[in-house]
Amino acid sequence: MAAMARDALLPTHWFNILHDRPQYVASAVSRSQLSGKMKCTKHALQLQQPFSLARQSLNTTDRFIPIPEEILDLYAQYRPTPLRRAVRLEERLGANARIYYKYEGANLTGSHKLNTALAQAYYYSRAGVKRIVTGTAAGQWGTALAYACQLMNLGCTVFMVRSTLRQKPIRGEMMRLFGAEVHESPSDLTEVGRRVLKEDPAAIGTQAVANAEALELAGEDRQSRFAVGSGENSVLLHQTVIGQEAISQMAALDDFPDCVIASMGAGSNFGGIALPLLGAAEDAGRPIRLVAVESTACPKLTRGRYMYDLSDALGTTPITKVYSLGSGYVPPPVYAGGLRHHSAGPLASAMHADGTVEAMAIDQLTSFRAGMLFCQTESILPAPESAHAVAGMIDVVSRHTRGEAPLVVLVNISGHGLLDLGAYSRFAAGDIEAVTVDEASLSRSLSSLEEFNQSISAEPAGAR
Amino acid sequence: MAIEDSSEVTVRPELNRTRATSLVSDALTAVIPGLRAGELDERQELYADLGMDSLRFVRLLVELESKLGVNLDDEDLMTIDLVNVADLIDLVERISPPPAK
Repeated sequence: MAAMARDALLPTHWFNILHDRPQYVASAVSRSQLSGKMKCTKHALQLQQPFSLARQSLNTTDRFIPIPEEILDLYAQYRPTPLRRAVRLEERLGANARIYYKYEGANLTGSHKLNTALAQAYYYSRAGVKRIVTGTAAGQWGTALAYACQLMNLGCTVFMVRSTLRQKPIRGEMMRLFGAEVHESPSDLTEVGRRVLKEDPAAIGTQAVANAEALELAGEDRQSRFAVGSGENSVLLHQTVIGQEAISQMAALDDFPDCVIASMGAGSNFGGIALPLLGAAEDAGRPIRLVAVESTACPKLTRGRYMYDLSDALGTTPITKVYSLGSGYVPPPVYAGGLRHHSAGPLASAMHADGTVEAMAIDQLTSFRAGMLFCQTESILPAPESAHAVAGMIDVVSRHTRGEAPLVVLVNISGHGLLDLGAYSRFAAGDIEAVTVDEASLSRSLSSLEEFNQSISAEPAGAR
Repeated sequence: MAIEDSSEVTVRPELNRTRATSLVSDALTAVIPGLRAGELDERQELYADLGMDSLRFVRLLVELESKLGVNLDDEDLMTIDLVNVADLIDLVERISPPPAK
């Protein structure tokens, strides 16, 4: 097959922040430090993920990691993505700022998730895996992975969080169109799903349960493996094409941001735009503000604890140190399903812990208002997750006083909201509320998280 | 994965095993804090006895890759199913490049 012509702006390497900041390699607890049923009951060691991906997550030696040619050809079909200055929005806001945005929603699957889905499907396929099983919240990751699996002749099974699949069933239809099997989570297909349904037949689902279901199903078939769409260092690495392009595109306009803003689910769209900009700012010896915008329904960075926690409901994946509300926390069913993960990934968490990343929480009513304003001024309807980033950006810009030099901001519009028209219609009809945390549920969940951390014993001296 | 060729028949198998055991011992002590090489036994289970988990296992493989000077192959590693230290030594024997002549 003839290779797609590649734009000169398309990065040929992923940017690896772990080279500059090796301290961001995930810190995890060993199963031997846990007690009772959390102790590992597995018998044999197997790799759940291709070694190439695991190696990327631990690589502290290479600042740039070459993107395989096969993936570059696929990136060339939709990258570089547009970077534009939001002039009409600046005028509407009366902002003392130059606002730039990077738009990741223009590919078929509608979001930045395709950047890692293509890379992961490539590595899983090369490792001889026949089917990828995953969990998805808002469905953007599931859609991207379904499409990527189809390209690589891989089977794909997706567990999608019930509340979001019911909000936007067309996301499920899109995944099925690409050949994926789609199940509402919690489901009766897995033990963990049945357990959750037994406790509450109307359970709305969480990403932690969807991932646990995917892990359980993948474990039943030797040719299947689990994959994850955010949080892991390798996933953030794949997303760095966004920020690298933005640097070149802004350089062509003779500009560089003072502040980079993106929404925070587990950290992939945030890391994708922020990490290369951080590297470039440090190279240039200039300061840069990185702002992560989360949902008030799931405020892990602003109200969570920096502790060891499970990523999936079963604790099958590594137990890493993250900002978390507790893996048992069930966020209210907001429309930004992609921001409902109970914890930020280890890398984004470490960056917040050392002060590199600021965080703010925005409610969904404010974010829909910002999303509509962005649509009216910039001709792009942002996904509800991306609308949080827009709202955060408006907040930052509005605090910048007029006497100072204009603030240069860069915001990541990680996906389009065309499959969220129902939610936008409800907003337009005045039928959207500003949802915040369920305080009682949060308090219980944080207590459990603290108890879990107190139960972690000191590192044993190897064999016991 | 290195495929053993006929030139290797002259290498005594116990030498490869000794070298592999030593590599595994070094790599295990590098990724498991507090583990002393003298405490290792081939029958020890990686999960149950040594507190190994998937993240440490990947670190172990990275360590072995560097010590062996090889690039481990994704497909080879996807099919492994290791229970004890002896299984790990077997794996290292299989992936070790032939010794320099």
